[in-house]
Amino acid sequence: MASSSDIRQKLRKKGRALHETLARHKNEDDVQAEKGLPTAEEAYNFFTFNFEPDAQDGTERISRERRKQKKTTDEDRDDGGGDEDEHQENSDMDEDSQDENEDQSEETPLVRDEEENLFVIEKSSQDFLEVRKAEYIRYRKRIQRESELLYTPSNRPVPTSIKLPENVQPRYLEDEGLYVGKRPPVSQTNKNLLENRILKMEEALKSKDANMYIAGTADPEGDYQLDVDVSGLIFSHHPLFSREHVLGARLAQLYDRYLTRQHNNLTGHLTDKLNGLRSALRNMLEIHGGQSLTQGMQQRIYDYSLEVRNTRQLRDSEQEKDRTLLKNIIKVWKDIKALREFQKFTNTPYKLYLRKQNVDRASDEREFEDEILAEVMELEAESEEDYQRRLAEYKKQLGEWKLSRRKQKAKKKKRKKKEKGKVQDDKEEIKDEDQELSESEGFVEEDLPKPEAPNMPDFDSIEQRVREKASRICRKPGEPVLIPELCASGNATASELCPRAEIARREDVTRRHLFVKILYNDKEVSRTESRPLNTDFRVHFGQIFNLKIINCPQSINLQVFEEIGSSCSLLAQVFIPVPEPSVLTGSAPLEEFEFSSNQRVMFDHEGVGSDVPLSFEADGSNNQTLLTSGKLSCCVSWGIGEDDVPLAPPVSQQPGGVHSGLGRLDAVTCIGASGLYDMKKIGEWATQSRLDPNDPKNASIMQLLKVARSGEVTAPDYFRLEQLQEEFNFVTDEEFESSKRFRLLRLRNKGVGEFRNYKLVPALEREVSDKVFQDYEKRLKEEDIIDTKEHLDSHRALVAKYLQKIRESVINRFLLAKHRYLLSDLVIEEEIPSIGFLGINLFKLAEPKRPLKPQRKERKKVTAQNLSDGDIKLLVQVRPFVEISFQRTVLQTTTADGPNPCWNEELQLPFTAPNGDYSIASLQSVKDEVFINIFDEVVYEIGVNDKDGGKSIHTRAEKHWLGSVKIPFSTIYSQSRIDGTFKVNTPAVLLGYSKERSHGSSGGYDMLRSLSEGAFITLFITIEPQLVPGESIREKFDSQEDERLLQASERFEWDAAQGYPDRPCISTVTDLSGKTVFITRYIRPLNPPQELLDAFPNNPQEATTLVARFVSLIPSLPDRVSFSGVCDLWSTCDQFLTLLAGDEEEHAVLLCNYFMSMGKKAWLIIGTAIPEGPTAYVLTFEQSRYLIWNPSSGQYYGQYDTFCPLQTVGCLVNADNVWLNIQECTSPMRMSFDLTKTNIWKPFFSRSFSHPGLSSVQISGFPLHLPFSEIRPIIEAVHSTGVHNIQASNVEFALAVYVHPYPDNVLSVWVYLASLVCP
Amino acid sequence: MAELHIIGHIVGASGFPQNSLFCKWGVHTGGAWRLLSGLKEGQTQVDIPQTGDVAYWSHPIDLHYATKGIQGWPKLHLQVWHQDSFGRCQLYGYGYCHVPSSPGHHRISCATWRPLGSWQEQLAQTFVGGGPQLRSPDLIYSGADRYRLHTEAMGTVDLELGVIMRHFDKYGVES
Repeated sequence: MASSSDIRQKLRKKGRALHETLARHKNEDDVQAEKGLPTAEEAYNFFTFNFEPDAQDGTERISRERRKQKKTTDEDRDDGGGDEDEHQENSDMDEDSQDENEDQSEETPLVRDEEENLFVIEKSSQDFLEVRKAEYIRYRKRIQRESELLYTPSNRPVPTSIKLPENVQPRYLEDEGLYVGKRPPVSQTNKNLLENRILKMEEALKSKDANMYIAGTADPEGDYQLDVDVSGLIFSHHPLFSREHVLGARLAQLYDRYLTRQHNNLTGHLTDKLNGLRSALRNMLEIHGGQSLTQGMQQRIYDYSLEVRNTRQLRDSEQEKDRTLLKNIIKVWKDIKALREFQKFTNTPYKLYLRKQNVDRASDEREFEDEILAEVMELEAESEEDYQRRLAEYKKQLGEWKLSRRKQKAKKKKRKKKEKGKVQDDKEEIKDEDQELSESEGFVEEDLPKPEAPNMPDFDSIEQRVREKASRICRKPGEPVLIPELCASGNATASELCPRAEIARREDVTRRHLFVKILYNDKEVSRTESRPLNTDFRVHFGQIFNLKIINCPQSINLQVFEEIGSSCSLLAQVFIPVPEPSVLTGSAPLEEFEFSSNQRVMFDHEGVGSDVPLSFEADGSNNQTLLTSGKLSCCVSWGIGEDDVPLAPPVSQQPGGVHSGLGRLDAVTCIGASGLYDMKKIGEWATQSRLDPNDPKNASIMQLLKVARSGEVTAPDYFRLEQLQEEFNFVTDEEFESSKRFRLLRLRNKGVGEFRNYKLVPALEREVSDKVFQDYEKRLKEEDIIDTKEHLDSHRALVAKYLQKIRESVINRFLLAKHRYLLSDLVIEEEIPSIGFLGINLFKLAEPKRPLKPQRKERKKVTAQNLSDGDIKLLVQVRPFVEISFQRTVLQTTTADGPNPCWNEELQLPFTAPNGDYSIASLQSVKDEVFINIFDEVVYEIGVNDKDGGKSIHTRAEKHWLGSVKIPFSTIYSQSRIDGTFKVNTPAVLLGYSKERSHGSSGGYDMLRSLSEGAFITLFITIEPQLVPGESIREKFDSQEDERLLQASERFEWDAAQGYPDRPCISTVTDLSGKTVFITRYIRPLNPPQELLDAFPNNPQEATTLVARFVSLIPSLPDRVSFSGVCDLWSTCDQFLTLLAGDEEEHAVLLCNYFMSMGKKAWLIIGTAIPEGPTAYVLTFEQSRYLIWNPSSGQYYGQYDTFCPLQTVGCLVNADNVWLNIQECTSPMRMSFDLTKTNIWKPFFSRSFSHPGLSSVQISGFPLHLPFSEIRPIIEAVHSTGVHNIQASNVEFALAVYVHPYPDNVLSVWVYLASLVCP
Repeated sequence: MAELHIIGHIVGASGFPQNSLFCKWGVHTGGAWRLLSGLKEGQTQVDIPQTGDVAYWSHPIDLHYATKGIQGWPKLHLQVWHQDSFGRCQLYGYGYCHVPSSPGHHRISCATWRPLGSWQEQLAQTFVGGGPQLRSPDLIYSGADRYRLHTEAMGTVDLELGVIMRHFDKYGVES
C-alpha cells in the first residue's frame, strides 16, 4: 500500500493536473471558437441565455472581451507556472494513466468537458430564474378577441316577421277568446335580449342538427311500440311518365273525383231541398192566397224565397261542376284515344266505358220544362221585386234631390236680390233665373246626382237566360244519362312493338327501384326493401316495422328514395302525424299521404320528365308543368303487447301535454289539507279576487268550490305532513303495530314493570309467545275496573284509584326534576384524607383495643346499577329471639332459654327486587316487610319407643307464638341500618301465659308504668352491601308563599343543616299539588269526631287515648311507596281523611290538630325515630309533663321513657312558630322542652321577623245537629256560630245539610259548615 | 318491518378555536321509524384536553329502530358547545350527518358550522362571548330556509358508527 507521503504527492499531482487540463481546454475553446464551432460555454449559454433580439452585437462583444480576459489569465499562469512543470506533469500523467488504473478512474470524470465547464461558470439563481413583465392584453384587444368568440345579443326589439316562420300571421290568443295567464313582469330589455339569443341559438342548432339531442330528453321513459305499416306508393306523376301516362293519370284522377262526387250526390240533395222549399212556399201562398198577409207571414215568405234562390244557385253551380267533370273525363279519354292512335302503342291499361242510360223522352222534357218554368217564375218575381225596391229608392232619392234644389234656388234668389237691388225688371229676372238654374244645376250636381229611373225588367230575356244556362249545365231533355266507368283491363303494347324512345323509357323504368326510409325523431330507424318500379308506377312494399321506443315521438318521417343502379336520391319526404294513443294496430285503417318533389328531371326518351313544360296540343300551346308527385299509403299505430295491452304512452306523456303524471294528483287531496280552509271564506275570496275560472292554475280551487257548493265535501280534520309516506311503506301500520317482538322491546325500553328487566327478547317474531303480554294486558284492563274484592268497600277502592291518579300526575310533574343530577350523583370521588383525619387515625392506632366493645365500621356504599339477584342480603342480628321471615324465606335462630334470652346470632336473608330491577326507584317501592316472630318452643316427650328397646326418645316441639315485630323494607332501605330495641307486638291475652305485673305505685299515670312493660327485642338490621338510599327531590317548586318568607325558611333550614346536620328541620313542605307551603299552615285546632269525645265525657285521659287510637287506625302508607320515592308530600287533614292513607306526618298533623282542639298544648315534633327514620311525632304538655305521642301506633311515652322510639328531636312546630332544637342533646330524655328559652330553642319567627299571620290550609268547620221545627231557628243557630265573621277577602265556605227522617215526621237536621281562607 | 341498529360513539371534536368542548346530539327520524330501545338524544361531558386540541368524548350511541319505510332515514344532528373558564357555555357549531345506509363500521367526520352575526355581533362575540344561535334546531337537519343564513365553518366532529340492518332485503332494499 502507498504511504501517506505518497498519497499526498499524488493529490498534489492531481491538483496540478487539473489546473493544466483546465488551461489547455480554455485554449482549445479559443481554437474552437476561431474555427466557428460553439464552445461549451456558448452551448450552455445557448440553452440558458435569454437572447435579446437587438443586443446581438453587444453579446458578441462581451464574449469577445471575456475570451480576451481568459487569454490574459492563461498567459499569466503560464508565466508563473513555467513550461517545464507542464511538460513534466503531462508526462507524469501519461505514465500514471498507463500504470495505475485507479488514478485514471479517479481523474476521468474530472477532465470531462461538460463537467469541467460547470465548475468554471459560477451558477447563480439568475441562471434558473427570469423576470418577466406581467402579461397584459390591452383591453380593446381583448374585447376584440372576445367578440370573435362570444355572441352578445343586442337589446333591440326583434321584429315580429323574424320571430315567425315565413308566411305565417301572428296569432293573438286573447283575441281568439282563449285564456292567457298573466305573464311575470320582465323588463323589455331582458325580453329583447332573450329573443335575440333564442333566434341566434336556433340558427346554431339548426346548422348542426342538434335538435335531436335536445328534444325529448326530459320525457319520461317507457317501453312503447309504434307499428309503422308501409303498404306501398302510387305515383300520380313521375318523370318517367309517358304522355299517355300523364293523360291516364289525369283520367284516373278525374274519375276518382267523379266517383266521390257521385257518392256524395250533392246535386241530388240540393235539388230535393229546392223542391221542398218550392212546395212549401207554394203551399203558403195558396193557403193565404188573396188574403192580406200579416207582417210575420210576409217575412217568412221573403225568407223562403231567399232560401230558394240561394239553394238554386248552389245547385246550379254543383250541377255545372258535374257537367264539366263529365265533359273533362270524356275529353281526356278522347285525348288518350287520339294519342294511342298517334303513337301506335298503348302504355296504360285504362279504358273508359260510357254507359248510356236511356230516359223517357216525354217525361224528361216535361220535367225539364217545369223546372225552367219554375225558375223563370221565380226569377221574374225576384226581378219584379227588385224593380219595385229600386223604384221606391229612386223616388225617394228624386224627392230629396228636388228638395235640395229648391232650397238652393231660394238661397240664390235671396243673394241676387241683395246684390242687384230692385232696379231690374221681371224679364231680366226670368233670364237670370234660367241662368241661375243652369248654374245651380252644375252646383247641385256636386252634391246629389240626379237619380236615374230603373228599367223595367225584361221578362223575355229572363227566360232566354234560364234556357241558356240550363243547356249549359244540364243534359238536354231526352238525352241519355252518361255514366262513365273506368277500368284498367286494357293491355299495354309489348315492348318489341314500340318505337325506340319508348323502349328506352321502359328500360329506364325497370332500372328504377324505390325504398322508404323511416325516420323517428329525425333518426333513421329502419328502411324498407328496395322494390322495382312497376310499369304502372306503383310500388308495393307491404312491410310493417315495429319500433320499440323509449322517448316520446316528436315526429315520424318517411323518406322515399329512388335507386338507379347504385346511386340513390331522395324523392320526397312524407311527414306522418303521431297517432293518438287510442289508435292501435289492427284497428287503424291505411291512410294515403300525398307527396311531391320539385326536382327538375328531363329525359331524351319518351319520359315526360318533371318540372318540364309539357303540351298536348299540336301547336305547343296550353303548356303544363308537372311535378313528381304521388301518394304513399301507410299506417302508423301503437302496438299491442302480448296480453292485449296497448303499448302506447298515457295521454299525459304526449308532448305538449300540460300535466305530468304526478301533477295529476290533486294537491289538496294529496296533503289532505282540505280541512284547513273554511269553505265559505274561500268562496268569498274567490268571488272577491275574481279568480279567472279558465286559468288552469285555478282549476283545483274551482273544483273544490264546486264540490263545496254542492255540500258534499267531507274534509278530513287532519293535515298530512309526510305525503306519499303510505305509498312507500313496507308494511301497513296495523302490521307494524301488531309485531309482538317490537312491542316487547319497546315496553322493556319504557321500563314497564313487567318487562323492565326482561333479559332475552327473541330474535324472531314467531318465538315471542302471547303469554308474555298476558299479565301486562290484565293489569291494563284492571286499571280501569275498580276491584272491590281487594278493598273492603267501594269507597276505599275509589280512594285507591284517586291515589293512583294523584301519583301519576305527581310523577309526571317530578319527571323533569328527576333528571337533574349533581356532580356527586355521577362521580364518586374518594376524599383525600386531610392531616387532621390522618392524625385521628394515627391516634386511633395507639388506642387500646377493646374487643369486648365492638363498634360498627362504616361500610362502602354501593350504587344500585351493578347489582343482581342474590347480591343483596339482609343481615339481622338478634339478641333476644328467633324466627325471621322475609320474602317467604324463613330463618330461625337457636333457642335460648329463660325469660330474657340472648341469641347474638346473625341471620342472612336473601333479597330479590321485583322484576330484578335494582334501580333506586324500584327499591324504594318495595313493599315487603321483615317479620320477626317470637316463639316459645316447648318440647314434649311423647314417650319411649318400645321397639328400639328404649334407646330412642320421641319428642314433639311445639311452637307457641308470643309476639311479632314487623319492619318494612323501605324503612331499612332508607335508613340503611336499623339499630335499636323494639317493642314486640304481643297479643292482649296470651292463653297459657301470664305477665308478671309489678304492683307498685298507683299514681295518676300508672299507664306510664305499664307502657314499659311488655316484651322488647333488640335488633340490628342492615343491607349488605350498603345501598345508596334514594334522595328526595331537591327541586324548588313554585309557591304562593311570600318571597321573603321562603327566603327566610331557606336560610333557617340551611343554618340548621350547617349547625346540626343530624337534626331534621323542616319549615316548608310540598302539598299534593306540588306547591311549597309553610309548615305552620298545617297546624290549627280541628274538632275530633264527636263520638270519640262523647265516649268518655268525664275522663279526658281516656278520650285522648281514644283519639290517638282513632288516628293510628288510619292506614299508614309511606309517601316513598305511594309516590315512588320522588318526594315527601304533605296532605291536609281533609285530604288525608279522604284518601284514608298517609305517612307519619299526616297522622301526626291530624293528631296534633285534634289535641289542640281538645284544649291541650300540642306541638309537632320533627325528628327521627326507630324504625321509621325521619318522622313526625306529637308532643303534648299535660300536668307539667311532656308526653310524646306516636301517631302511627297511638301510643304515648313520657319524656323520660327509655323505650321511647323517638331518638332525636329536630324541631317543634305549632300553628304560630317553628323552633329548632339547638341544645346539646337530641334525645328527648336529656333535653328541655321549654320553648321560651331562645338559647335552647331557636324560633323561626322572632322579633326581627315576626309572624305574618299565616292562615291555615286546613279547613275549619263543624256539624250542627238540630231537631227540626222551623227553618228560622236553624238559620239562627248557624248565624250564632259566627262562621261568617272572617275578615278576609279570599275566604271560601262550604255547606251541607242532611236531614234524617224518623218515624212520625220527626226530623233530625245536620248542618255541616266549613270555611277556608285561601293562602 | 325492518330493523336498524346503530351502535357507535361520538369520538371527539377537532379544529375548534377553543378546546373545552361538549356536544349535544340527537337522532331525528321520519314518521315511519320507531325507537325500540336506546336513547335518541344526549349530551356529552365537557372535555378539557391537557394536550393537543382534540376533545375526546367517546360518548356511546346505541339505538335500535324499527321501520316500515325508507323515508326519513335517521339523521344525527350535533351541537358543539364551548364552556369557558367561567363556566359560560356558548355555541360553537351545528352539524348533521345521515346515519350510513350500508351495514358495517363507518367513520364519519361531520363538519360543523356556526351562524354568523352582523359585525357588531361578531365584535361583541369576541369580547363577551355568546353569539347567534338557531331559533329552532330543526334547521340543522332541514334544508329549508338555510339560504338565509351566513355561517362560518367550525371544526369537525368524528363519529364511529356501526350499522346493522335486518330484514331490509325482505322489502327490496338490497345492501
